[in-house]
Amino acid sequence: MSPRRIHRLLIAGLPLAFLAMAFYLPVGRLFYDALRVEGRFSLEPVRAILTDPYVLRVIGFTAKQALLSTLLSVAIGLPWAYIFTRYRFPGRRLLRSLTIVPFVLPAITVAVGFILFFGNNGHLNRMLMDLFGLSRPPLSVLYSLRGIVLAHAFYNAPLITRLVHAQWETIDPAYEESAQSLGAGRLRRFVGITLPSLMPGLMTGAALAFIFCFLSFPIVLALGGARFSTVEVEIFTRFVVLFQEDSGAVLALVEIILSLLFTFGYLWLEGRFSRPVLSIVRHPTAHLFRRWTVGKVLLWLFISVSGVLFLGPIVSVVVDSFTRVWGGETMVTVHWYRTILSPDYSALIGTSPLGAIGNSLRFALGAMVLAVSVGMPMAYVVARFRFRGRRLFDTLTMASLGVSSVALGAALLSAFLRPPLMLANGVVAIILAHSILAYPFVVRAIVPVLEGLRRGPIEAARTLGASPMRAFLDVELPLVRRAVLVGAVFAFAVSLGEMSATILLAQPEWKTMPLVVNDLRAARSFGGASAMSCLLMVATSCAFLFIDRSGERVLGGGRWRK
Amino acid sequence: MKRWGLLFVLVCLWGGSSLAADKPLLTVYTYDSFASWGPAGRIEELFEATHDVDVQFVALGDSRAMLTRLQRERQAGKQGADVFLGIEASDLARRGIEGLFLPLSSDEIPHLATVSQDLLLDETLSLVPYEHGYITLVYDSHEIETDGLARTFDELLDPTYVRSLILEDPRTSSPGLSFLLWTIIQFGDPGYLDFWRALMPNVLTIAGGWGEAYDLYLAGEAPMVVSFSTDTAYSVIAGGDAHHRVMLLENQGYRNVYFMGIVEGTEQRELAAGFIDLVLSAEIQELIPTTEWMFPANREALLPVQFYQHAVTPPDAAMMDPSEVAENLDRWLREWSAVVIGG
Repeated sequence: MSPRRIHRLLIAGLPLAFLAMAFYLPVGRLFYDALRVEGRFSLEPVRAILTDPYVLRVIGFTAKQALLSTLLSVAIGLPWAYIFTRYRFPGRRLLRSLTIVPFVLPAITVAVGFILFFGNNGHLNRMLMDLFGLSRPPLSVLYSLRGIVLAHAFYNAPLITRLVHAQWETIDPAYEESAQSLGAGRLRRFVGITLPSLMPGLMTGAALAFIFCFLSFPIVLALGGARFSTVEVEIFTRFVVLFQEDSGAVLALVEIILSLLFTFGYLWLEGRFSRPVLSIVRHPTAHLFRRWTVGKVLLWLFISVSGVLFLGPIVSVVVDSFTRVWGGETMVTVHWYRTILSPDYSALIGTSPLGAIGNSLRFALGAMVLAVSVGMPMAYVVARFRFRGRRLFDTLTMASLGVSSVALGAALLSAFLRPPLMLANGVVAIILAHSILAYPFVVRAIVPVLEGLRRGPIEAARTLGASPMRAFLDVELPLVRRAVLVGAVFAFAVSLGEMSATILLAQPEWKTMPLVVNDLRAARSFGGASAMSCLLMVATSCAFLFIDRSGERVLGGGRWRK
Repeated sequence: MKRWGLLFVLVCLWGGSSLAADKPLLTVYTYDSFASWGPAGRIEELFEATHDVDVQFVALGDSRAMLTRLQRERQAGKQGADVFLGIEASDLARRGIEGLFLPLSSDEIPHLATVSQDLLLDETLSLVPYEHGYITLVYDSHEIETDGLARTFDELLDPTYVRSLILEDPRTSSPGLSFLLWTIIQFGDPGYLDFWRALMPNVLTIAGGWGEAYDLYLAGEAPMVVSFSTDTAYSVIAGGDAHHRVMLLENQGYRNVYFMGIVEGTEQRELAAGFIDLVLSAEIQELIPTTEWMFPANREALLPVQFYQHAVTPPDAAMMDPSEVAENLDRWLREWSAVVIGG
């Protein structure tokens, strides 16, 4: 074997071995068991499910709401990527770091925020009624497909923004400039040059958003209600309520195949649009607050509307955390914060809220490091190696995102109780489980940018005698650093928000922030849950600011800036 | 130097863990609210004071999540818990529960003598009741006049209540399932499906869990919600107002009883039995009303005055036989889904 082959095998082999052990084998075993009927392998269970008209109707609705949610996420996320790339304004970097916060909020916090803000009796409707003297609430958002789609956009538009922005910064503005000098108009330049170059990032973002919405569960039930249930609700019912593990697993298998088929489609499209771009060059930016044109007015209109969508629910939760109803009177108070921060809150059992913040951040840091270590080589394999079935391989790297969280939790719990993973119990198990859900973000963030890189500088480095490793570290890595950073940030975020695997694997002293939010709600402390959600937002905001700042420094490449 | 430091830490950790291992450990799986706000803290304190044992409550999710964890661990041959607390009556005869718990004798649990006979639904005593409550409708008396209140299921179909009712999904929520079973008792099978079809126009939404449903109700989205008969007591004691009132349909409430048991395979049977006996003692049972917002299983436990005044005990209790639930649940949920989803 040539050194080159050994080198390649190592790059691909190590992360693959890890994934096989911690993901493919446990989940494969679950599906395999489900497809054995009376000791023999059979596809009959799958056929039975796919011919049930009720299941088909549910699948149809699931796909429909996911598609609509993805479209809205793109419609909101793309202009924001444009704003971040082309405009400067005070607090731009801060705002960019904070875009990710909605993505980590527990479903229940988002649901509460939406109920308080968009509800028939919510702040928005009451404000509009006062303003225009209406007697009935003018906006009906909840209890319909609209509420579900809006909440999914709340979660996923930030994802699109960050991924597209990372891609946009790798596009050399020289292309557009020369098109402009040749007389191409603004729209023509965008459609002809910018959009195709953005496609990989956009498609990646859309694929991730789609899978997320396809698997969504608590948000759909909370904001749409049972009339709008998704496949995931059905899987939950079979696994957890009916104890019908096999039929639940078969449905989960159908679900993952569907979401991977969609992914495959997106990746195929992405491949068709991918084109080489140069390197990170700072784009000329305009000031967001000066020189008012019609376009600028429209942009501000968009900023205001999307601002209402994002800030409304968040501010409502913050307001809720500072109010308390006592004897029919509403008071402004820090009562809820005092309650959850008092030392006797669960002094005997489990974790204090502050301890939970520490736990969450520790797990997220561990999961992020592991996800980047696994995701980066995988991205390199997908983007750089040429082999048969590469697209399929690429699709399969997304598999852990497409698996039902109920099924994944069950598979992992069993796997962590058997060798070889039983050695990794406790904290390690949680970090492993989180990193499995997080690494696809690293892969997806890096691949389009890596594929888009021109080979020139890399080949030059190789010609000058740099080893492949050195060329990667000194040339490619700095060029894709923003993408690595985005992947890492999302890996961190996924770990912060994860609940179902944590519930099954954790010990009481390792409770994470979202689990404490749930805890408080289960104990009827709705105000306390809102207060905890606010602490969660503050803690994650600080974490993201820190990662964004220090990440740019660690991954270096400052010298590549012009 | 650094390496020695690391070694020191490792030795300390080792020492720490072996020290803790001296005492037997009793692991109790339960649901989140029982551990953090329920009587768990006091139980641990009392039990550790009288027994040489280290009690550990594990409660990372609701009781369904913890039950899933227990079942999985047993499949893999691991003894995760010694005691499980939080099984509902409707689950008593289910396939996934069978054989999970050790049958007990009343000699082992002296306090069983204080438990009302009608709560002892499991004759083998594998599962012992510790509290019970009633699912009823709760309404906002600022929004709905007490005179015009619906008193029967049929009156609930009145068009004046259009989009006024918040329910929970029986597939993901325990009160939701109780309400569905109640309608099946009332209208029979398959008559309940007609009732649900007729009810849908008056339903604002069917939330995933009780928490979301109650959130919507408190936010003023609709004036009626499926909840517990102790809600007035709760809002008086914890919120100082009494306008969330219980609405009895057919003079009934759907009764739910909650059980605990000793997990098969435990090496701490005696300690576990002592633990169960302690949970049934008057001292712990008197904490149930204002931490769990349920009625205690022990007849001798005294209720706090305000709880006694405001918690409603329906004159008549509806309850589905557990074996009937076990036999039909799958089909009922499927039929219910087909009527409600997209309807």
